[in-house]
Amino acid sequence: MNMANVISPTTVDALIKFGIDVAIILLKIVIVLAVGLLHVAYATYFERKVIGHMQVRLGPMRVGPHGLLQPFADGIKLFFKEDIIPAQADKVVFYIAPIIFMAAAMVNLSVIPFDANFVIADINVGLLFIFAMAGVGVYGIFISGWASNSKYAFMGGLRSSAQVISYEIAMGLSLVGVMMMAGSLNLSDIIRAQGESIFGMYAIPQFIGFIVFVIAAVAETNRTPFDLPEAESELVAGYFTEYSSFRFALFFLGEYIAMILMASLCTICFLGGWTLPWYVLKIFPFLSYVPGVVWFVLKVYAFFFFYYWIRATVPRYRYDQFMAIGWKILIPVAIGNILLTGLVKIILKEVL
Amino acid sequence: MTFKHFIKTITFIEILKGMALTLRRMFSKAVTIQYPDERRKIAPGFRGQHALSKRGGKAKCVGCGLCATICPSQCISITREKGQVTKYQIELLRCIYCGFCVEACPYGAISLTENYEYSSYNKQDLMMTKEKLLSNWDKYMPGTKGEEYYKKFWRPMSEDFGTPPGQAMYGGKR
Repeated sequence: MNMANVISPTTVDALIKFGIDVAIILLKIVIVLAVGLLHVAYATYFERKVIGHMQVRLGPMRVGPHGLLQPFADGIKLFFKEDIIPAQADKVVFYIAPIIFMAAAMVNLSVIPFDANFVIADINVGLLFIFAMAGVGVYGIFISGWASNSKYAFMGGLRSSAQVISYEIAMGLSLVGVMMMAGSLNLSDIIRAQGESIFGMYAIPQFIGFIVFVIAAVAETNRTPFDLPEAESELVAGYFTEYSSFRFALFFLGEYIAMILMASLCTICFLGGWTLPWYVLKIFPFLSYVPGVVWFVLKVYAFFFFYYWIRATVPRYRYDQFMAIGWKILIPVAIGNILLTGLVKIILKEVL
Repeated sequence: MTFKHFIKTITFIEILKGMALTLRRMFSKAVTIQYPDERRKIAPGFRGQHALSKRGGKAKCVGCGLCATICPSQCISITREKGQVTKYQIELLRCIYCGFCVEACPYGAISLTENYEYSSYNKQDLMMTKEKLLSNWDKYMPGTKGEEYYKKFWRPMSEDFGTPPGQAMYGGKR
């Protein structure tokens, strides 16, 4: 039986086109996940090396040349370790928590534009979507702390939810200036608007927002100096104290993917994503032949290095100081930045 | 809040100074010694595992028990029968490597060698018998090294603080 008799040729064409689209999206997902997970593995290696050298040590050296295979050794070790669940834990919630945490972080990778035409889902509310999923990730942390039935984990979970909620406000407000300048929530549009602006990247006109964002991003991913939810010297390991083996690895993975995400968001909103500022291209015209994804990745790496640099330098804040920074400094400063941005925008409109 | 303090706060100047320091340290040479591949240089006079020194293939030790007496952790036990040292045992796990035994020994019979790599899974390996201690001397203090080491660092007290030869002293038999 000929297929053409059952469905019309136009429908077949549409179906084929749909199939190809789905295949392309699947391919993109596979690429992003594979590259993303590899980056997580080597982010840990890079972190240990950078912090090691900053502390005048060497970092991992024994597995492979200069310890290059260390991430795989760690991964294999984590995979084969015994999975311990506390007897009094709420088992179902205990199982679900790391999955929620990691899934919420991983979903965000789908809206990140890595290059001019490389984004899995080019949705118009990309920025809001990222905030929403970052908020969902807190549930993973909080219920893991609750389900472990341990004081340390519970304290870590409480602290984490308080921290992420307070700093998400500051982060959201710091990005409002960017939204106002770009006039869009679509991440690709924000990058394009940046490439066409006078400064080339929003980090220069929006430097107040940039500073607020960087501080809030460190707090949002629970990194030192804002690592109160997992403060080793106070709470053992915080919310994942009771987790071991692969479930611990899921938390670890989620945390690093969240870091990649925050670095990407910083790159997209403030550093110009895959574009280079026009004045750089004017001085070095040959740089325009380099694919945009290289610039994107380099900017992300630079932000990663900043994460590690901060971690090697600044000690942990006390809890009340930390909350005071969020509520009394960052949020008012971010609101002031919004007002200033709006004012400048109106004045420029009147003048020009 | 003074103006200076305000400027200091909003420019993060102290944090930036700290970050400059960590960045400078990143490009300085690491102090790590990668142990099994490279080893720390042992300072002369290092107090490591014990050895019983020999003269003419025989132990200098006469079993007087001064080392066992002075030992603060009492890890040396000596048995003497018919003028012969039958047992000379050091418990390495109890030893604190103070070197008192070496200083106390009037014959220079015991010394501390430069060997520090003798960790073991069982306690028996860390009980030093007379035979093991004697073989340590050959192993870690070969040739004249032992004598030199001994002269330089582990002279018995009597050599430095003894009665000078010209001084008048008790005329009895010495």
